[in-house]
Amino acid sequence: MPFIPPSGLGGILAYFYKMKNPDQYSGIFWVLLGGTVTISSFFYGVGSFSTPGPGFITFLAGAVLTLLSLVLFISSSGSKGSGQSLRSLWEGRQAGKAFYILGLLVAYMFLMPPLGFLLSTFLLLILLFRVQATYSLRKVIFLSAAATIASIIVFDVWLGVQLPRGFIGYSLF
Amino acid sequence: METFSHLLYGFQVVFQPLTLFACFVGVLIGTLVGVLPGLGPVAAISLLLPATFHAPPVASIIMLAGIYYGAMYGGSTTSILVNLPGEAASVVTCLDGYQMARKGRAGVALGISAFGSFIAGTLGLIGLACLAPPLAAMALRFGPPEYFAVMVLGLAVLVFLAGGSMIKSLMMACFGIIIGNVGMDPITAQPRFTFQTDILLDGVGLVPLVMGLFGISEVLLNVEESLQSREVFQTKLKGLLPNLRDWRESIWPIIRGSVLGFFLGILPGGGAVISSFVSYGIERKLSRHPEEFGQGAIAGVAGPESANNSATAGAFIPLLTLGLPSNAVMAILLGALMIYDTPPGPRLVTAHPEIFWGVISSMYIGNAMLLILNLPLIGLWVKILKIPYPVLFPLILLFCLIGVYSLNNKVSEIGLMLLFGVIGYLMKKFKFDGAPLILAMVLGPLMDKALRQSLIMSGGSPAILLESTICTVIFAVVAVILFILPLLPVIGRFRKKVGEAEEQT
Repeated sequence: MPFIPPSGLGGILAYFYKMKNPDQYSGIFWVLLGGTVTISSFFYGVGSFSTPGPGFITFLAGAVLTLLSLVLFISSSGSKGSGQSLRSLWEGRQAGKAFYILGLLVAYMFLMPPLGFLLSTFLLLILLFRVQATYSLRKVIFLSAAATIASIIVFDVWLGVQLPRGFIGYSLF
Repeated sequence: METFSHLLYGFQVVFQPLTLFACFVGVLIGTLVGVLPGLGPVAAISLLLPATFHAPPVASIIMLAGIYYGAMYGGSTTSILVNLPGEAASVVTCLDGYQMARKGRAGVALGISAFGSFIAGTLGLIGLACLAPPLAAMALRFGPPEYFAVMVLGLAVLVFLAGGSMIKSLMMACFGIIIGNVGMDPITAQPRFTFQTDILLDGVGLVPLVMGLFGISEVLLNVEESLQSREVFQTKLKGLLPNLRDWRESIWPIIRGSVLGFFLGILPGGGAVISSFVSYGIERKLSRHPEEFGQGAIAGVAGPESANNSATAGAFIPLLTLGLPSNAVMAILLGALMIYDTPPGPRLVTAHPEIFWGVISSMYIGNAMLLILNLPLIGLWVKILKIPYPVLFPLILLFCLIGVYSLNNKVSEIGLMLLFGVIGYLMKKFKFDGAPLILAMVLGPLMDKALRQSLIMSGGSPAILLESTICTVIFAVVAVILFILPLLPVIGRFRKKVGEAEEQT
């Protein structure tokens, strides 16, 4: 789809909807990011050549990023790239598993302080071992417990990392 | 003679029990990482970085260096036995190594790659010990404009050699510079892009960034593909020691590969992957039987394996002498040295000789350890190859989580890592290379400082960046790299090859 600047909000939305090449999407993302950085740099103070300010280098990098992103967007608008569409990047793959794991990790981040390292890690590992493996629950529980205890011994006891104890705490060592 | 006495001092440092143990652990983990596809040295070093904060700097940096060159050794094992490169520098080894294995010569292929790597590592070490001190002395005369020029050159070469789209690599370099300059401005102490959070005040941490970009994202991509257990070539490993004929056919490829790898390793952005490809090409050109290449020619294993090991020694030169990393692994090591409060550069050799000479000497000891580890333990590595990914990835994630949490005992660091994990995942989906981002992120604050100092020195004239001969030559080279070389079809084919090699691992 060759790049012809669309007019009006409806035209822009229609153009986005019809975009085929993944590079067009990433191009737009980077244009927005680069543009935001370039404009924000003025608030930090770009300064002048004789007295460059804190935002000087981020202004330069942001401006170049915006320009390059525009080049990427326009050049990818004229072709379909490697024949891939945005959807095809996830086709034939078990993307749900990746998002599930990500969700588990985010939940772990929030639950670790109140639950404590021992309990939250044990639960996390049980769920992670079950993602792809077809092991029995008994084996999964054993693996999770072993990995959790081993990590407490190595990091908490040997290396002195203060892992959160949570509401149950642990007085194993 | 002076170099020899310095090396002896380095050996004294290495032979401390803790340092020796760190070296052993480093090469052991490195070999393991090289053997396991889907976990490269960059990811492994970033995973272990937080653990080293509790050990002395010398032992820590020696261990991290050991992981890097250990991975080069380990990578060959999977290439030869499974036809699956453990890391990008071993892609070429698949061509002839696997064919040798199919012909019942897996033992010899593994043997020659271990011996070749050892010889190359040793030659690389000698080169490093001889070249690094004079280069460090020369670098003391560099001013901010020269430093800025060298850093731009480093980024340009890495962008050029990154494989894939150069525009995308350049974009990643710009993004890296932006991320690198998040946090307090070192000159005015003004916070930049911190969004009024404490966690970003000291800048974006290197550890959450690399763990996210290389650790978390790799796991997310791998679980999508539901990796099946790998088919290991079923053959009894025998005759690991090459015979006289094998040696005759291999010795010159080993020497040529060593020299070539060393010098390519020094170049910013060069390194193990490129040198292995170039070495293979040269050996095929020089061979009396080029038709045997791809059918199990021993020179096709010996040359590239030597080159990629020697390149690791060469890569330390710009890091230790100029404080400039030449690839993503070196960028992480630079970050590590800064965290240990021993910033690399021309003054490292005088301010922290124990680190400078300790690292150099440890590479020799490490190479000897690798030779001992690799040959008798090949059976063990083959067993490790069979560990199913569903068991491996939760442990990798656990390591990432604890590692990043242990930095400041803050869960917000985990959040930052997960954010970069998502960014890394999307970057790989949309074919953006992470290496220029890491390098630019580490160099970003240094570039900011050097550029602003240069402009202040000149009273606001950007012409200062072209005033000295060194700067003029460097910027001319940068222009050639970015604007002329990409137009050459031969270069285009070569970049494509390197890009494919990196994608395969």
